[in-house]
Amino acid sequence: MFFLQTVFGRPSVLILGTLGMFFMAITLVSVVVFHQRRVIRFNKQIQKMEEERQQMLLRASIQFQEEERQRIAADLHDDAGPLLATARLYLNENLIHQEPAVQLQSIFSAKQIIDDTIQLIRNISHSLMPPTLKNFGLEAAVKDLFDKINGSGVINASSRFHDNRQRLSDEQELLVFRILQELVTNIIKHSSAGFIHLTQNAQGNIVYFRIHHDGKGILQADFDKMEQKSSGLGLKNIQSRIRVLNGKIFFEIDNTHTYYKVTIEVPRQPNK
Amino acid sequence: MFNEGMGYYLQSIKSETFIILLHTFTFVEYTFFCLYIYFILPQSILKKILPFLWIGFIVFALIDLIYVNTGIEFDSFAIGIESIIIILLCIYYLFTQIKGTNSLLIYSTFNFWVVITFLIYFAGTFFLYILAQGLRYDISFRKEYFIINISFNILKDVLLCVAMTMKSTDTVNEQKNGFPDLDEDLFISKKIN
Repeated sequence: MFFLQTVFGRPSVLILGTLGMFFMAITLVSVVVFHQRRVIRFNKQIQKMEEERQQMLLRASIQFQEEERQRIAADLHDDAGPLLATARLYLNENLIHQEPAVQLQSIFSAKQIIDDTIQLIRNISHSLMPPTLKNFGLEAAVKDLFDKINGSGVINASSRFHDNRQRLSDEQELLVFRILQELVTNIIKHSSAGFIHLTQNAQGNIVYFRIHHDGKGILQADFDKMEQKSSGLGLKNIQSRIRVLNGKIFFEIDNTHTYYKVTIEVPRQPNK
Repeated sequence: MFNEGMGYYLQSIKSETFIILLHTFTFVEYTFFCLYIYFILPQSILKKILPFLWIGFIVFALIDLIYVNTGIEFDSFAIGIESIIIILLCIYYLFTQIKGTNSLLIYSTFNFWVVITFLIYFAGTFFLYILAQGLRYDISFRKEYFIINISFNILKDVLLCVAMTMKSTDTVNEQKNGFPDLDEDLFISKKIN
C-alpha cells in the first residue's frame, strides 16, 4: 500500500482503488444475476420440452387406446353381430312349425354359427390379453408368439430365457410382452429380416431382454428422432410403456454391422 | 446520516470516544454479519467453520487493539481484514445461489439484496478504511473520507430499502399464490373441521 501511495500518490490510490473495488463488486453481482437468469431460462426450456414430450406420449397412449377400442368395436360389429343375427334367423318363431328334419338342420346351423361366434370372441379376447401370458407367464407367451411367427414360414424366430426364476410382476410382464410384440411386428413389417432371436437374462434386480435381427433396423438416434415426430404411434407406445416400467431401451448395431440389437432393461417390481 | 454526522463531529473534535466507538463498531458489525450469513448459508463446510472464523477474527482484532494499535489509532488493519472476510463470505453466498437449483430469480429475494449491499459497501470502502490509519489528521483526506463514506452509506441504505421492499413483495406474492380452499363449498373445509 505504501509502495502504491509513493508511486501513484495518495489521492489516486484512494479514488482508483475505491472505484476499482466498486466496479468489481458491481461486475460480480451482474455476472451472478445474468448467469442465474440464463440458467433459469435454460431450465425452463428443458422443462417445457419435457412437458411437450410427456404430452405427446400421453396423446399417443390415448390415441392407441382409442384405436384399440375402435378395432374391438369393429370386430364385434362386423363379425360377431352378423353371425349372431344369422343364428337368430335360424332360431325364429316359425321353426316350431317346420318339419323335424328342417328344425334339426336349423338348430345345427345355429349351433355352428354360435360356435364360430364363440371362437371369434375368444380371438378378440386373446388379442386383448393372451391366455398363455396370463396362465403361464412371459416366457411361454413369447414362445407362443414366436411359434406363430415361425408357422408363417417367412421368418425364423427363436427365444431363450436364461434366468427367469424370479419372474416380473403380472403387470410388468404384460407391458414387456406388448413392447416385444410391437418390436417384432415392426421388424416383420419394415426390416425384411430373415431371423429374430430374443435373449432374456437378469442381473441383480434388473431383467434384460435383447432382440437380434438381421434386417434393416434403426439406431438410438433414429428412435429418438422418430419418437419426437407426430407420426410413429407404435414407437411412442413403446416409449410410454418403457416409462411405466421405469426401464430403458437401446437401439444398437453390432460391431460387425450384421445384426441390429434392441435391448430393454426392466427393474423388477414386487407383484401386487 | 445521524450516525455519520456524529462520527464526523467526534472526529473533528479529536475525541478519543470516536476511536473507541470505531473499535467497538468493528466487533459489533462483524459479529452481526457473521450471524446473518450463518443463518442464510446452506449447509456447507464454510458454514461449519464460520464460528471459528468469527472467533479467530475477534481474537485477532482484540490483539490488534490491545498490543498493536493500543486503542489510540484508527483500526485500519482490523477493518481491512474484516472487509476481506465479509467480501469473501458474500461471494461465497452468491456462488451457492448460482450453484443451487432455485427457480426463483435471485434478485427477487431479500437475502440477495442484503448480501450485495454488504458486498458493495465493503468493496467500496475497503481502500478508504485501510488508508485512514495514517491520514486521520490530513484535512484533504478527511474531506475525501467524508464524501466517499457518506456516498457508500447512502448507497447502502438505498440497497437495504430495496431489500425491505423485496421482503414485503414476497409476502404479498405468497398470499396471492396461496392455494384456494376448494373443499369450501362441500362443507368439508379445513376451516370447518
